[in-house]
Amino acid sequence: MRKRINLRMSGLGGQGVVTSAHVLATAASKEGKHAISNPFFGAEKRMAPAESYVRMADERIYDRGELVYPDVIMVFHPQVITMGKCYTMPFYSGIKPGGLLMINSDEPLPLEKADLEFLEEQNIPILYVAATTLAVEIAGTELATNMGMLGALMGATKIVGMDAMEAAIQDRFGKKYIASGGTATLDEAIKKKFAKKEQLLKKNMDTIRRVYDIGAEWAETLKTPMLV
Amino acid sequence: MSKEKIKINQEFYDIMPLEYRELVEEGTYGKENRGWKDVGESKELIEEHSLCAGCPESIAFRYVLACLPAPEDTIMVGSTGCTSLVFPHVAVHNIHSLFGNQNAVASGLKRALSFRFPDKIKDVVVLAGDGATVDIGLDMTLQSWFRQEKFTTICFDNELYANTGGQSSGLMQKGFVAKMAPAGKKFDKVPLPEIAKSSGCHYVVKMTVSKPNRVEKAIREAILVAREIGPTYIQLYTPCILEIGKQMMEGLQEMRDSEGPNKRFEFEEYVSDEARAYLDTVNPKKKKRKKAIVTK
Amino acid sequence: MATKSLIGTYNKKGQKIVDPDYLFYDAPRERQFMTGSEVVREAIKRANVDVSISYPITPQSEAAAMVGDLWVEGYVGEYFRGENEFAVMSECAGASFGGARVFTTTSGPGTLRAYENFPMWVGSRLPIMLNMMVRGVNSPLSIQPDTLEIGLIIDTGMLIWHAESAQDFFDYLLMGYMVAEEPDVHLPIAICIDGFFVSHTKDDVYIPSADFTLPPYDPYRNPMPVMDMEVPPVRMMRDPFVMKSNYISYATQASWQQETRAACERSRKHTIRLLGGLIEEENTDAEILIVSSGTAVAQGREAVRLLAAEGIKVGIVKIKTIRPFPYEEVRQATKNAKIIFVPEFNVVGWMAREIKASIPDNHRVVEGPHVAGGMTMPPEVIVEEIKKVLAKKKESIHE
Repeated sequence: MRKRINLRMSGLGGQGVVTSAHVLATAASKEGKHAISNPFFGAEKRMAPAESYVRMADERIYDRGELVYPDVIMVFHPQVITMGKCYTMPFYSGIKPGGLLMINSDEPLPLEKADLEFLEEQNIPILYVAATTLAVEIAGTELATNMGMLGALMGATKIVGMDAMEAAIQDRFGKKYIASGGTATLDEAIKKKFAKKEQLLKKNMDTIRRVYDIGAEWAETLKTPMLV
Repeated sequence: MSKEKIKINQEFYDIMPLEYRELVEEGTYGKENRGWKDVGESKELIEEHSLCAGCPESIAFRYVLACLPAPEDTIMVGSTGCTSLVFPHVAVHNIHSLFGNQNAVASGLKRALSFRFPDKIKDVVVLAGDGATVDIGLDMTLQSWFRQEKFTTICFDNELYANTGGQSSGLMQKGFVAKMAPAGKKFDKVPLPEIAKSSGCHYVVKMTVSKPNRVEKAIREAILVAREIGPTYIQLYTPCILEIGKQMMEGLQEMRDSEGPNKRFEFEEYVSDEARAYLDTVNPKKKKRKKAIVTK
Repeated sequence: MATKSLIGTYNKKGQKIVDPDYLFYDAPRERQFMTGSEVVREAIKRANVDVSISYPITPQSEAAAMVGDLWVEGYVGEYFRGENEFAVMSECAGASFGGARVFTTTSGPGTLRAYENFPMWVGSRLPIMLNMMVRGVNSPLSIQPDTLEIGLIIDTGMLIWHAESAQDFFDYLLMGYMVAEEPDVHLPIAICIDGFFVSHTKDDVYIPSADFTLPPYDPYRNPMPVMDMEVPPVRMMRDPFVMKSNYISYATQASWQQETRAACERSRKHTIRLLGGLIEEENTDAEILIVSSGTAVAQGREAVRLLAAEGIKVGIVKIKTIRPFPYEEVRQATKNAKIIFVPEFNVVGWMAREIKASIPDNHRVVEGPHVAGGMTMPPEVIVEEIKKVLAKKKESIHE
């Protein structure tokens, strides 16, 4: 594993991009790693571009703010690419050689030839995950898309362990949490979906576990392991 | 505050200024039935007024201070303008900070005092000019009423900016020619008493200061209602004799001329039901006496 | 500072009032992973705050709302949302005049709207704590981090501290009260953090138990009378200053301004004791230095690492207090430096200006790199700037 791993999550407002960064960083922190996570958003609006970043390392991390040179890019919505709803163009700008690109889509997107060539040159595999479809299937709500994305990331990279993730999810959804207006409303929406908090936690974890396996299987098909 | 707190140490007695010794010995802190009749009869809480000779604002100031129900526990908040020249001579704590922010300062002050002294009454009274109350500070005036802040707002309405040399203000009459309204003011006098009623004030009075017993009643009741019920507002006509071309002795007549029927300072009072019910409980004696007179 | 005699007793909420030094240095601390907004909640929970007034503006809104929760829970005495920042800062003034320990927060345009209040707070000696989560000011509209607003309040007379990390932030919020409330200081204090970079970033913070709290503010340890009618209501002056245009009125104004500035200077000794110095230095024997404050220092630290990996030795100086400015400390720390880089998150470079005014041979100062308007400053940008300047130097030597 690289000494420092930088992850950039690009998605749309309401998809849980900020939440997944915070949850992932909390999980890393629980494993004793140094981590920093921060969101970057403009006016807080549903379906407007939203980005968040996670940095992890074995040493103290000072760097913060928009992540210009990521090892991993997680695209939460095809529109990030197809409609340019990302903070930097092209959407993979700055990605480090040997990194990883994850895209939430049921099927591969028609990427430009030049883009595909660049990614191949830089030795960056693309993992397509049907995170939203799987979220609806497993958790019964597309609000669990971010859990699907995290599960796939964990399966493919083993970046954090399942116990730490479960503890982080418990932290985030298991107790009172102060969030900005939009996030708070979504929190309420998903809580209403489930009769009990435990059920919400369980469905989140079910989604992560199921998609984890998909990520893990995919990683085994790669010729060279990632992030080394 | 108990009078003990201002007692002078005997060893310093002879070096204390005369006016301070008088204040400690004859000041009306804690006196029951304080009122305008104390003016000239006892040590007043205002030492000098530093306004123009004959300014109606000066007598208004003296009445207000004489009529505070509990000056020993009253903190006043002023603003920039003629009133800010007087406050340094006033023997109740008073705050001048900026121009127009008086109702905001009073909001924070009242909250802090309520929290610090949960078992004591601490009255907060705002006293500012019409520019401060209605123009630059209007949003804070209104917002403090919307929030139901428990203090009294007194506006000395001289219908212009006196301290800066007579510029047009929102409370100036329509058509009046003044600096910054060289072709005459284009819009009506802002109806702040009306606005006060619909903004949550429980006790609103508009009047001149020509009749001290009426001023006394209004000040006293406004402060009592603010203490228990919610915000109160008093607008007093204190004409700027200088800027409307009157002589020193003509202030009183100017007020009398402006308060007749259908004149702009005709006495107006609004008391909410809640405030009325409360006042009936604190003014029982007066009420009985009035009834007695009626039945005669 | 606060009421020592209450140490060991309990406040209304049931928290034990402890010696500030115990809270800062001795009480066991636990590692927490939280955002800067949550740091505000945790610090204010332990700060015995009497009154807090809020107004929404990104990025400080979350923190301001959490202080409201503390009020509901009984940790804060009074709380409400004001109508705009000018009014909020006046409401804070009213509460402080009335003897309360006061906390508020604002950002960017809010700071500017409130501006007229700051010198008034100073002149009235109100030890209000203002947390500025700094962001860009219009126009064009921006909500992103930018430190221009710190440069704009620099000469208001307030104490101004600039936190680099969530940990600094937690400590400064608590220590700030202790310095600002010292009778020989008794001034407002702005605790600045960079919006989003600290406010919305989750980071490690070590914090003591919430069973402990700072001693309450004692309003009577004050160079000015408290406006509560519990002290004699003196007649303030025979002639209000503005009544006359004469020497004595100018002299009164001028000497009070000098006194408030002197009070700011007097905060040094208390601040040095609590923060362990007004600056923090690392490898200042190096010929190349990075000197700045806030997130620019954090990014600088990463640049130092990257350059070290390439065999280029760079030292770093972190400035903790913008006011009072550590002129002497900076002069000492930079005395060996040949080139001093001042990275900043604003377009004007106010920090570089301050440093240039502090040191001899100030041609050594490179004003930059600068980013503004919400841009991130990746460490690579600092590295690039340093290498570019070094290459130029080499060239000029060879010529």
